[in-house]
Amino acid sequence: MAQPAISVKDLTFSYGDVLAVDDISFDVAEGEVIGFLGPNGAGKSTVVKMLTGQLTPQNGSATLLGMDIVKDRKQVQQEIGISFEFTNLYEQMNAVENLNLFAKLYRVPDFDAIDLLQKVGLGGRDKEHVANYSKGMKQRLMMARALVSDPKMLFLDEPTDGLDPVSTETIHTLIRAATQTGTTVFLTTHDMVEADKLSDRVAFLNQGKIVALDTPARLKQRFGMRALKVEVELPNGDIEVREVTLDEDQTPQTVFDLFKSERILTVHSEEATLEDIFFDITGRGLQG
Amino acid sequence: MIGTLVANDIKLFFRHRFFAIVTAIGVVFYLVIYFLLPNQVDESLGMAFFIEDREIPLYQSLVDEPGDYTIFDSEAEMLTALEETGDFFVGLSLPADLTAAAARGETVELNAYYAPGVPAEAKQIFHDVLVLVANTVNPETLADLARFNDTPVVLGNDMTGAPLSMRDRIAPLLLMMIVVIEVFGLATLLNRDVDNGTARALVTGPLRLHQFFVGKALMGMVLAFGQVLILSAVMGVLGTAPLLLLATLLLGSFLMVGLGFFIAAISKDNASVMGWTIVFIIPMVFPGFSILLPGLATGWMELIPSYYFVDSLHRIINFGAGWADVAGNLTLLLLVGAGSMAVGTAAIMRKF
Repeated sequence: MAQPAISVKDLTFSYGDVLAVDDISFDVAEGEVIGFLGPNGAGKSTVVKMLTGQLTPQNGSATLLGMDIVKDRKQVQQEIGISFEFTNLYEQMNAVENLNLFAKLYRVPDFDAIDLLQKVGLGGRDKEHVANYSKGMKQRLMMARALVSDPKMLFLDEPTDGLDPVSTETIHTLIRAATQTGTTVFLTTHDMVEADKLSDRVAFLNQGKIVALDTPARLKQRFGMRALKVEVELPNGDIEVREVTLDEDQTPQTVFDLFKSERILTVHSEEATLEDIFFDITGRGLQG
Repeated sequence: MIGTLVANDIKLFFRHRFFAIVTAIGVVFYLVIYFLLPNQVDESLGMAFFIEDREIPLYQSLVDEPGDYTIFDSEAEMLTALEETGDFFVGLSLPADLTAAAARGETVELNAYYAPGVPAEAKQIFHDVLVLVANTVNPETLADLARFNDTPVVLGNDMTGAPLSMRDRIAPLLLMMIVVIEVFGLATLLNRDVDNGTARALVTGPLRLHQFFVGKALMGMVLAFGQVLILSAVMGVLGTAPLLLLATLLLGSFLMVGLGFFIAAISKDNASVMGWTIVFIIPMVFPGFSILLPGLATGWMELIPSYYFVDSLHRIINFGAGWADVAGNLTLLLLVGAGSMAVGTAAIMRKF
């Protein structure tokens, strides 16, 4: 791997006696989307806060774009865009004013707020006070604000939590568009489908520790079990679903016997979901 | 960068309907109060006389020379005026034989009619004046009076011949009030910025932490100082030592901005900002009222930081004080303002 965009070594943070992040290490390549997956309280947001300079690590170190997150905190912050877990917009201002404020503070030349708002699907609602926006619209505006300075790295903390499918899809499209221009994306979520769709690699975080880190496909290959789901019609007319586990020695024979002896209605291949794998590894679900 | 933040905050301040209305109405309301109050002091004693025999030499001067008194043609007219006009505080009815009887050393009955509400002290003073007058009529009793010379010594500013009008007295209070009110606005905006997370968005993005706080302090100064400047210009008090007055207003605004930071730091939400502001504002305005009503002034008021603000304003506007006269006050304002801002900033940072 070339110079990683994010390099984390032995990062640790506690809130009093509660160990939130426990000695984690990982690297993220430039232009990569890394999904941090874990239930509430797993430590995802704490990792984001440390990497974005909102919290100072109690142990360990990290660099973003080659800069130390503690020593070069402000320089790091100038290069990144953050979409926070909770909405933090100026609600008495409209969308254009919200974006223009940050563009001025970042000193972005020739900033076009309307163009950006159209990209996030808020064109035409730009003059309304943000207080009147739905949660999805606010989240899209937060995403737009994170993009104002054309950052090299995006931190998206639960960007689609509680959003409707349309808003979720808009944000997914924006993330994909950002990666196409080489932006590194650090995504935290407890939505395994989202992580699976968007991430080049996912990290499972459980009780402050990274318990698995790999591409979704490899994780499924390594931890999941492939299967065939076969619907058969019984002689009495009832329908029964049979599951045939793949990757076993007797699988070909089992499939052959099934097709020979039963009236097959449908056959579907199935693979383990990230949630299944997370459960297998940690013994707990992602919603916990 | 800081200028952008200040401009944005001021825009937000005036978008808040409550603050916008309070600010606009406040300035107008204070000016109306100021200009409605009299700018002169009525020092007349307001005495009414009925003199039955105006030819008696003792009364000639009263009759011939105009003064703070009115001579009525009948006792009934005098009593009606005393009761109904409010222009007089005492009326005397002087029968024709009174002077002669007093001169003979006889006990004379004299009715002094007082308007309603005349304090006992004033009645006593008038009684003493009457005794003196009676003694001048009867030289024998005058001979018994102790003889002494008194030397008047005025402590503080000698107001003889130049008393402060109500308008003069209320000016420092109004100037202080307009600044104090801004504490609430600043504390609310600051608290909301931290509470809503917009402060976090700013400091984890384009701004450094100190830029954020400097921006907020400047916003508070612009609001407080701007308003007090308008008020003092319209009131016409800027003409007296303008530089010194501006410095005092600036330091007073700084003190209140510090207080706004402190209130924002200890408040959890808008309701608690309101509560804490009331707790702090009430004692802050006491020193201003003590100038309006000097009887209220007590030593403990010097423990209230705003005392040094309002006292300086009072001395500059009403007594023409110079830099040296108020240097101590201004230094204290600077120190207390900086102190409360430092404590407030440290406490707010813990909320990030």
